[in-house]
Amino acid sequence: MELGLNNEEKTFFNLDPRTKIFLLVILSFMVFNDVPFYISGILVLIPFLCLLFSNHKKTAIIYFVLYLIAKYIQIYLLPSSTGIIAIILITVSYTASRMLPILLMGYYTISTTKVSEFIASMERSNVPKDITIPFSVIFRYIPSVYEEIKAITNAMKMRGFGLTLKSLKNPLKMVEFYMVPILISAVKTSDELSAASLTRGLSSPKKRTHLVKVKFMLLDYILIAIAIVGFLVYAFYFIGGH
Amino acid sequence: MSERLNVKDLITVGIFSVIIIVLVFIFGMLGYIPIVMLALPIIAALVCGIPYMLFLTRVNKFGMVTLMGLILGIVMFLSGHTWVPILVFTLCAFIADCILKMGNYSSLKNSIISHGVFILGIMGNMLPFFILRDFYMESMRTSMGADYVNTVAPFITNEFLIVLIILTFICGLISAYIGKIVLKKHFEKAGIA
Amino acid sequence: MINIDNISFSYNDEANLENINLKIEKGEVILLCGESGCGKTTLTRFLNGLIPNFFDGKRDGEVYLNYDAISEMPIYEIAEHMGSVFQNPKTQFFNVDTTSELVFGCENLGIDEDEIKKRLNLVVSDFNLENLLDKNIFKLSGGEKQKIACASVSAVFPEVLVLDEPSSNLDSESSWHFEEIVKKWKEQGKTVIIAEHKLFFLPNVVDRVIYLKDGKISNKWAIDEFKGLDHRNLGLRQLNLENLKVKRNDYYSKDNEFFELKDFNFKYGKKHALKIDNIKIPKNEIIAIIGRNGAGKSTFANCLCGLKRSCNGELIYDGKSFNRKDRLKSTYMVMQDVNHQLFSESVIDEVLLSMDEEDIDFAEEILSNLNLIHLKDAHPMALSGGEKQRVAIASAIASGKEILIFDEPTSGLDLKNMMKVSENLRYLQSIGVSSFIITHDYELIMETCSHIIHIEEGRIIDNYKMDEEKLKEFFLRN
Repeated sequence: MELGLNNEEKTFFNLDPRTKIFLLVILSFMVFNDVPFYISGILVLIPFLCLLFSNHKKTAIIYFVLYLIAKYIQIYLLPSSTGIIAIILITVSYTASRMLPILLMGYYTISTTKVSEFIASMERSNVPKDITIPFSVIFRYIPSVYEEIKAITNAMKMRGFGLTLKSLKNPLKMVEFYMVPILISAVKTSDELSAASLTRGLSSPKKRTHLVKVKFMLLDYILIAIAIVGFLVYAFYFIGGH
Repeated sequence: MSERLNVKDLITVGIFSVIIIVLVFIFGMLGYIPIVMLALPIIAALVCGIPYMLFLTRVNKFGMVTLMGLILGIVMFLSGHTWVPILVFTLCAFIADCILKMGNYSSLKNSIISHGVFILGIMGNMLPFFILRDFYMESMRTSMGADYVNTVAPFITNEFLIVLIILTFICGLISAYIGKIVLKKHFEKAGIA
Repeated sequence: MINIDNISFSYNDEANLENINLKIEKGEVILLCGESGCGKTTLTRFLNGLIPNFFDGKRDGEVYLNYDAISEMPIYEIAEHMGSVFQNPKTQFFNVDTTSELVFGCENLGIDEDEIKKRLNLVVSDFNLENLLDKNIFKLSGGEKQKIACASVSAVFPEVLVLDEPSSNLDSESSWHFEEIVKKWKEQGKTVIIAEHKLFFLPNVVDRVIYLKDGKISNKWAIDEFKGLDHRNLGLRQLNLENLKVKRNDYYSKDNEFFELKDFNFKYGKKHALKIDNIKIPKNEIIAIIGRNGAGKSTFANCLCGLKRSCNGELIYDGKSFNRKDRLKSTYMVMQDVNHQLFSESVIDEVLLSMDEEDIDFAEEILSNLNLIHLKDAHPMALSGGEKQRVAIASAIASGKEILIFDEPTSGLDLKNMMKVSENLRYLQSIGVSSFIITHDYELIMETCSHIIHIEEGRIIDNYKMDEEKLKEFFLRN
């Protein structure tokens, strides 16, 4: 038996990291402006599809519902509301409808890309170590920071000064309470991780090899094509002056 | 000092980038409150001083700060802030790096000023609003209504941009100074700075 | 094979190692032991090249690997010959998924892809990793993490393996698995050097024992000789757990007051991570919570502290019922990573922070009782692990907590520090605090505890007054 690097159920929807980044780049143009759904629809659907087919079904659906709510607010609620409420609604709904697709695409990229895949595809594109190593560390360290924030929050709750309205009266103290333990562990992690990586030969000048095969498959081309079409629709909408 | 960055430097850059990203994003959520969004660079400048000053205790050669700026710029780009931050953040970080180098990576004064400049990189997130001002106003008027535009308009002017840059810079200096105090108060005593 | 030729080392003028001479033959398994701070970790750093490549300090002497001076080799070249496993599983992985981590070393060294594939298959079958492939490392148990760490250094086919306290975070079952791993290496003719506090899983694989004291080699023994020694006198943990005897005879009686726990339920998705209908536990005692890695001990602790929002349950004592929010006020957990719960700039401030009204006299009294008074102006983060733990205890006493929960308080501690933890626990009992201890440390339980709760798969499967035979069955069945 060949020991699979990719489980069977995963192989069917597995994009090259470069494709994911390309999709992110395309989607990030959406932030420039808000357009009717029939124009941005294709782009909005990309993260939905990616999440749906890669074991993030729940996230995909939540994303889509949130997006629809934001659109609903814009189309049906806004015309009939005024004043400060309108301004808050506008900001929330417009930020949401512009940012959600990009944030979700980012979430998809981070949660489905292995550090090794990322490095392999970057090195294939001749991106230097100076950029791939810090980025791999970012991938790896963000979950740890999240765990730490949770642990500190718990510790504060038990001491009776958790995140409450009362404690927010002194925000500087809160920042200090969180920042000091996190930074101390950041320093410790960066030292221990460096030491461990060095003993594993990360500083070797030899060309790295890669067990994970990254290459563009049919699926990559399809998604890239969809994204380009979506982008063109979007671009023509503006060039045509609406 | 043309020494190349080694693995330890690169990992340090990665770890501290995470801290700054997390901070910017957590406080970035305040951006959902109207108007406050425009003050984001100031808020970022205020909270990033502590990690930045701690980061500098591990920096002793040219390139680490610049690299961090580039990385943060790319992260901003990937999280939907257009490609402008890549240029702006890298440039600001590069200047910050030069300032540090002039102080031989040990001068406190240079460290504080370098943070002021470094954190201006965050302005890259806002610049598109100002560069494409008319375009924005126009589309906001059609999509969000005149009410909103009238509230926001006074803030999206060149004068306001300059004020924002100056304020961000000053806040960057103050927060770096606070960072230095926290460094003394906690990290030096704890033996890690 | 390895020749350690008169090495000395000091960080900031403090001598860490002095004139160490040692020859290690190919295929030997060497145990480095001694009290905390004896220099065994420093010695491992000489072997894997982290000194001088990573740690700065004043250094003298040389370590030779097959007649090559290690200090003159670049560290990536050393990496081809020496595999290193470290103590902290959280910080030694570069990847997030297991498979990538397993081949990470090989890829760095530019080994051919087909060859890597072969090696991957080999370590997977050697270490029985079929079920661990393509998993998120950070979701694995401590034992599984350490297995991955060992397998991934193994894949590089190093001649020498250097292990620095690899078992600190392992339960007893995983420790025995670890013995299997070392045996495997031994069979393959590899040289293994282990620096460890915990000894019980090692007597059948180790060939020679090097005992370090204050940075010098104070003794060397063949393993059979070492087995006959009095390890306590040397400040070492027990080698043969069979020899341990229960240390206390002042256990509680039937008339003791009891806690009653009712309806503690917690679910992860659809799975019951914790399900307790009703149990009674003696009050003001030191209670051990045992069970395998991943059995639900931490979930239980979190629920007891009121940290899990969806777990309500009732804790009843002194005729009162405590719901989740009440429990958050009356309990406190000393976490495994104490760094997360110390917030102030000095030890005394940390204690004062816990008080509703600052009372310096009381704070100082607490500190003297915990032997911390001489450190009252020190920064909590500058203290040793044991001291930090005591600061956390002090802050809990100051806020009037009646129930303390300890998460693995003795992981990675030597005998002296373990005894101190035991003393602290007894002190807490003397002032009326009840302690729950999640632990894998048989020695600590025998020394200190009076009651045992055994959790498996989220259920309490046993709840009994200290019983040597039952405990042995759990810890020594291998």
